[in-house]
Amino acid sequence: MSGWRSIPFLSRLLAGACGLLLLAAPAVAAPPAKPKAPGTVAGLPADKALALGERMYRLGILPSGESMPSVVNGDVPVEGTAFSCSSCHLRGGLGSWEGGIVTLPTNGARLAIPRYWKFPNLSPEERRELKLQNPAARPAYTDETLAHLLRTGRDPSGYDMHSVMPRYHLSDPDMAILIHYLRNLSARHSPGVVGDTLRFATVIAPGVSEDDQQAMLVPLNNYVARHNQFSAGFGNRMYLGVGGNEMSGAYRKLALSVWRLTGPPETWEAQLDAFLAKEPAFALLGGLAPGDWKPIHAFCERAQLPCLFPITDLPVVSDSDWYTQYFSRGYYQEGQAAARYLHGLEDSAPARKPVQVVQDSPEGKALAQGFRDTWAELGQTAVPEIPLPEGKPLALATLEELLAREKPSTVLLWTGASAFPALAALTNGATGAFLSARLLGSQLTSLPEPVRTQVWITYPYREPNLEPKHSLYADTLLGGLTQRHPETRISTRTYALVQILRQALMDMDRHFYRDNLLDRIGMQRDQILPDYLRLSFGPGQRYASKGCFIMQVGPGPSPSLIRKSEWVIH
Amino acid sequence: MRRNQWATLLVTASLWLSGPGFLTAQAPPPYARTLETYTVPDVVLVNQDGTKVKLKALLDSGEPVILDFIFGTCTTICPVLSAGYANLQTKLGTGPSKVHLISVSIDPENDTPKVMRDYLKRYRAKPGWDFLTGRREDIDKVMNAFNAYIPNKMSHYPLTLIRDPKTGKWIRIFGMMSSSEFVAECRKAGVL
Ligand code: HEC
Repeated sequence: MSGWRSIPFLSRLLAGACGLLLLAAPAVAAPPAKPKAPGTVAGLPADKALALGERMYRLGILPSGESMPSVVNGDVPVEGTAFSCSSCHLRGGLGSWEGGIVTLPTNGARLAIPRYWKFPNLSPEERRELKLQNPAARPAYTDETLAHLLRTGRDPSGYDMHSVMPRYHLSDPDMAILIHYLRNLSARHSPGVVGDTLRFATVIAPGVSEDDQQAMLVPLNNYVARHNQFSAGFGNRMYLGVGGNEMSGAYRKLALSVWRLTGPPETWEAQLDAFLAKEPAFALLGGLAPGDWKPIHAFCERAQLPCLFPITDLPVVSDSDWYTQYFSRGYYQEGQAAARYLHGLEDSAPARKPVQVVQDSPEGKALAQGFRDTWAELGQTAVPEIPLPEGKPLALATLEELLAREKPSTVLLWTGASAFPALAALTNGATGAFLSARLLGSQLTSLPEPVRTQVWITYPYREPNLEPKHSLYADTLLGGLTQRHPETRISTRTYALVQILRQALMDMDRHFYRDNLLDRIGMQRDQILPDYLRLSFGPGQRYASKGCFIMQVGPGPSPSLIRKSEWVIH
Repeated sequence: MRRNQWATLLVTASLWLSGPGFLTAQAPPPYARTLETYTVPDVVLVNQDGTKVKLKALLDSGEPVILDFIFGTCTTICPVLSAGYANLQTKLGTGPSKVHLISVSIDPENDTPKVMRDYLKRYRAKPGWDFLTGRREDIDKVMNAFNAYIPNKMSHYPLTLIRDPKTGKWIRIFGMMSSSEFVAECRKAGVL
């Protein structure tokens, strides 16, 4: 049993050890795509059938709108609402590997070629060139054999699939629609795979300082250069055998374009469309924008373009959007943490009557929204909110008047350090306050001494004294230049992005489909990288850092932070 | 290292790299069954309604209980385990359920009460099936107590634990069960 469990671990270890060599091998042409000719499917126009098939695959809903039933483990009936093909095979269809159970690929490209247990990634052409003799485990599927497999679990070679692969008793037209979808699912490489190169882009919106741009661009460009250098250095020198050929099929050089936006945010989507049309990118990496990330997020959803880890604290918070993978929910997540902490306090007095003071800025609004949503989710009643115009400091008199009028137990002050003088109003000791560490920035440690024991800080990073030292690799990637403003955490976050991307490129293998890139990130194990205590992943999980500490500021002129909560507060 | 040794290493590595597909056909699922004694840790977890739950009191109440480990975004294994739970609930009918089904999250950071509520809804869970999350430390304690600790949620495996209400011993089932096997195991344990 222990061997059984150690398989994924071993493979990781070896994959890690061989990552460099994998990247060092020469490129081989991709398997030919075999899309189905357009026409009608089950009497429907092909695109209509495709949309209905997608709904079957992703949501387990039949063309009729009813739930798609199946049977697993021999005799366990399951509703389509419980899970669907994509729960196991993932959205891109390349399958998954969890706990020793292998979910085979079910994408168009793979179904159209025979399956081999050994070196399954080689194309038929490569097999011929290498004169491989081993017989196929199954032939390419015809529509008939595929329908038979989905109904009975038996493939055309007579192999009975593991009973966790459900059996689907579909009508002929429904089956035709599902098969039409599978034939087109990850059948051709996504745009941005050009010859031997995988093209990426990074977006920089107007108003980002030159220093901040460099903090992201230097490590990104260094990474791309090193990756490409390895291929040049090792080139064709080493003969790697059949496995080597298989690995080399996964190798691509990388290219990175910088898409610089101009003008107001309303015009960005059109500019991004033009960039993408001119130089198709496989995915966006990082990215910087001074305000809301929303316009770029919306573009990526529409263009079905992955965006990996934009350097933003104003993401779109959504349970269902797919294409942007963020580090965290940013300011919103700090508001959530405040709500959870307050709700969970042993002494319920501070939670009795909170009041939010909300600066009319994207940051203030995101903090307040996070608090509001979570407070409601916890079953608490809505709290009064006092707006504060953008750029206007909170005056002492305003806070005094608010305390006298509302008699809150706690004030959530979603303003910056300009509120410090007003905090004198809290010295009666009856009211606590929350402030955001990210909004306070370097001013955090100058919080006025008399109120420090009454003020809680939402702190979205690892405790500063526990931040691990940069690795040698990180240092060479970042260069001294990018570390001039460590408080922005732009270069360290870019470094984290690079680490996750490197793993994802290895795991993506030669299956260059945009959804597969996101699926592979979803299957990564937890990562301990700079800034956030822990980054974790899962299919469809789009905010890798789930935590935020609540801190208090200790006494003295160079105070330490006193941790008051867990990283994740339940 | 000599050149051909490198070559061997690389080919071996590539076999692993080529991923799961390299493995030979997957055998049908024989499940393994053992009888165990476990000491339930004294931790407080949180259920799908956000209510705090004392695990020890819950499991040692003498009420028949079944326990598994899942997470909200898990592929393959959890969907199938949960389909087994849902099916058992259907078989037990609509009356007040005798058996308490418990799923403990192994992804406590992502599995908030809301995520767990949505998950249970997808499986049309009835009252009597609780999904528990909590502090990572406490979840680790629970996994350890049931000899089910895994450092990485992606190497998670299928495990079902049935508590015999008379002896307090646990039947540990490693692998996947059909509906009839699950019912038979429950009968044997005296929970049905
Ligand atoms: C609960 C998880 C699960 C779900 C849901 C699921 N599958 Fe599978 N599927 C598997 C596993 C595991 C295998 C591999 C079984 C084996 O190797 O014995 C598999 C195998 C397959 C294969 C065989 C691939 C080959 O190369 O022969 C196809 C095709 C397939 N599934 C399609 C689908 C489709 C289409 C759906 C939805 C209608 C679906 N599966 C739903 C788990 C699942």
